[in-house]
Amino acid sequence: MLITKIKDRQEVLETLKDKNPFVFKCFGCREVSFPEAEIDNLLQEYRDCVKGIARIDYLCREEFTGRYLKAFAGEISSAKSILVFSCGVGVQVVSKLLEGKIVLPGCDTHYLNGFQGVTAQNADCEQCGQCWLNLTGGICPLTACSKSLLNGPCGGTKDGKCEVNPEMDCGWALIYERLKSIGRMDSLKKSAVNVRDYNLIIKGATK
Amino acid sequence: MDYTKYRLKKAEEISEILSGISRISVLWCRKCYKEFKEDSEPECGQLKAMLEGSGTEITVCQPVDFLCNNHLTGKILEQMQGDEPVGVISCGLGIQFVAGACKGKRIIALADSVPQSGNATSIVGYHGIALGPEKCAACGQCYLEITGGICPVVDCAKSLLNGPCGGASSDGKCEVNKELPCAWVQIYERLKKQERPLSSRVEIRNYNIFKIDEKIKQEKLNRNERAEGYYGGVHPQEMKDGTESIPLDVFPSPEKIIVFLSQHTGLPAKPVVKAGDNVRVGQKLGESAGLVSAPVHSGVSGKVIAIEERMHPVSRTLQPAVIIENDRKDTVDSSVKPVPNPDSLSREELLGILRDKGLVGMGGAMFPTSVKLCPPKPVDTLIINGCECEPYLNADNRLMIEHAEEILKGARIAQRLLCAQKVIFAVEDNKKEAAESVDRLKDNYPEVEIVSPKTKYPQGAEKMLIKKLLNRNVPEGGLPFDVGAVVLNVSTLYSIYRAVYEGMPLIERAVTVAGESAIKPGNYIIKIGTPFSDILKYCFNGKSADMLKQGCELKMGGPMMGIVQFDMESAVIKGTTGLLLLEKPVVEASEENECIKCGRCVDVCPMELHPHYYAYYGKRGEWGKAAEYRVKSCIECASCQYICSSKIDLLSFIKKAKKHVNNKN
Repeated sequence: MLITKIKDRQEVLETLKDKNPFVFKCFGCREVSFPEAEIDNLLQEYRDCVKGIARIDYLCREEFTGRYLKAFAGEISSAKSILVFSCGVGVQVVSKLLEGKIVLPGCDTHYLNGFQGVTAQNADCEQCGQCWLNLTGGICPLTACSKSLLNGPCGGTKDGKCEVNPEMDCGWALIYERLKSIGRMDSLKKSAVNVRDYNLIIKGATK
Repeated sequence: MDYTKYRLKKAEEISEILSGISRISVLWCRKCYKEFKEDSEPECGQLKAMLEGSGTEITVCQPVDFLCNNHLTGKILEQMQGDEPVGVISCGLGIQFVAGACKGKRIIALADSVPQSGNATSIVGYHGIALGPEKCAACGQCYLEITGGICPVVDCAKSLLNGPCGGASSDGKCEVNKELPCAWVQIYERLKKQERPLSSRVEIRNYNIFKIDEKIKQEKLNRNERAEGYYGGVHPQEMKDGTESIPLDVFPSPEKIIVFLSQHTGLPAKPVVKAGDNVRVGQKLGESAGLVSAPVHSGVSGKVIAIEERMHPVSRTLQPAVIIENDRKDTVDSSVKPVPNPDSLSREELLGILRDKGLVGMGGAMFPTSVKLCPPKPVDTLIINGCECEPYLNADNRLMIEHAEEILKGARIAQRLLCAQKVIFAVEDNKKEAAESVDRLKDNYPEVEIVSPKTKYPQGAEKMLIKKLLNRNVPEGGLPFDVGAVVLNVSTLYSIYRAVYEGMPLIERAVTVAGESAIKPGNYIIKIGTPFSDILKYCFNGKSADMLKQGCELKMGGPMMGIVQFDMESAVIKGTTGLLLLEKPVVEASEENECIKCGRCVDVCPMELHPHYYAYYGKRGEWGKAAEYRVKSCIECASCQYICSSKIDLLSFIKKAKKHVNNKN
């Protein structure tokens, strides 16, 4: 899942004041963190600066977005630029559909652990293509360890916490505890020598 | 398109992992993020074939939709018998969840995640919700404004931020993979088209931009908000400020009223007047036609001009209605008189009044109140429903602010009838003024407990409210009294008060009128039977006809569950909570794309159903399968349709499926 946050306010304000944009406001990923109220307040304040506002869901769906572009064709053609409040996908789709227009993102996109369909879960999967979970008691070392170490803890772990962020549990401490509780400590011996095959990612991507 | 995230591990690897294991049970995820064209996946069969004669026996092979959904999968895991190891075919998320949930068992990963950088579980190349070629790496410092909307982080093989590496071929291909176009060449071309300079600012990517603790906090917040009270639900824009502070006002008495004989669950009322009769305010027009039925009354005095068929706002078919011409004298019928001492009335007398005065549930379902307050099982809790979770609506809100005392008096009557020990008054936390106004009276009504649950749609649905406040689950096909509760809407309680204390039948109700460019939006006490055209004329200053032509629609109820009206000569009924003239969305539900199994509908369904199957089987006419997926439990709250990323008209499939299932029984 993703989190979108309004870009540096100064930056957005400049766009609003100087470039008289047409605004797209995506609210597709509902129930995920999206600063819609904050955006509305901003737009309310600078209502006179914008050519028009389209509230649209799933800007990432090109067919739907295309229909919105038609519905707002007049306003869009008279605008100097397009300001898009959405994740990076939405901005790219609008840019592609309006190749001749300057399209500006109003948000930064951050990654939120977990899965898209279901709201942010604790677990994460990095799609490495060679699942380690059999050896690690079902806890992923790539995502649970801040350094993605595959062969055990780094030594910076203290009281089960990570040295990168003391609020985060050490992934390998979790793995150790889990393996101990299920009586599978022997599998730690196997994980030590495996090397991650990064080539799988490229193969997977272009398969 | 298929962005599926796992593939079965290779046969050699599987035989190595499973060597020495004689029995396993298997959980396999039905996959997500692929066009939903088949309801089965081949992996489990492939596994069975691999294990043929290997000495490992598969005891159960359990398919699961969205294995990573810990709430729903958790329930399946609870029912899993046996202590044999559990093999999991899914992406890493599902495997991790199962491993965490079945701590005592050995969990075996039988699949690898498919590494494709267009995949939604991966940080690199996360792509929003649709299946499209555009990717976003969620880097936290969007560069798209300087690169013409082409992302250098994902589209350049080296994620270079300050221009091409020099390895691009003369025809603009990447040196890492000759099939990939060089992103920086594309950026250059795009900017040239826009006559913009390439002004890549020298900025170093900050990998620490989103602090991990902030992220953890955000995740917790998100999860807690979603799980608040009950599974699922949504938070649509509230849009309540428009009419929130407008006091209830009496809507001008209309020229004529159209009183439908069917304004309740059950049999339509039998008319007891005929054309030409003179009637008075509060006079009965139709008599209850059976045990589950209700009478209807006149809201004006005047002459019955016809009993004929008109377009019913709920069924949207022609239904008989009594049409009365208003003589504007407001002569009150002799039956409308206060009971001298309401507290001394017996149970039977009270129920008789409620039946006789035509009371029904006014939250929208219109179930006869006298039947509801006479449950066949003991009830310990009465819940006063002041949630009004639909956006825009404020009629109940205003009623609570202005008539809290009457509502509480009505509740006391209901409590007496039910012999309920406990009364809970639920006012959502976005209605502070209403909660305060009820709270001020708490000394006089010590039996009432006031709670302010966090706003979430569809909290006003009885089943959700019971789950939230009492943590009881109304059984499938059951009613609230099955778990010892009864839920009554504040409008209904106000009408109970008026029926008992003033002898006034249900002839008017509070309705919110709002929407795009309303001249006089507000909360009105409107006579039942008032034609929609009168209301549009008054509140929208005659502009409504043009607006309806120009892509607006009239909804009776709220925007989520409201029913679109086509005939403006239809009229207000007992279940009309609001009348909204809203702009139609540019892309409407039903102008749909293929379902991509994004799982959002499953995530928001408060009844914990799988709505995407209703569309899938509905399109194929396999209604029996929809029944297997418990379509009858659906409360039609429309959360699934609201969130559907493919704009599938799920509700119409659900309604059809229910019809088919009912016909079959």
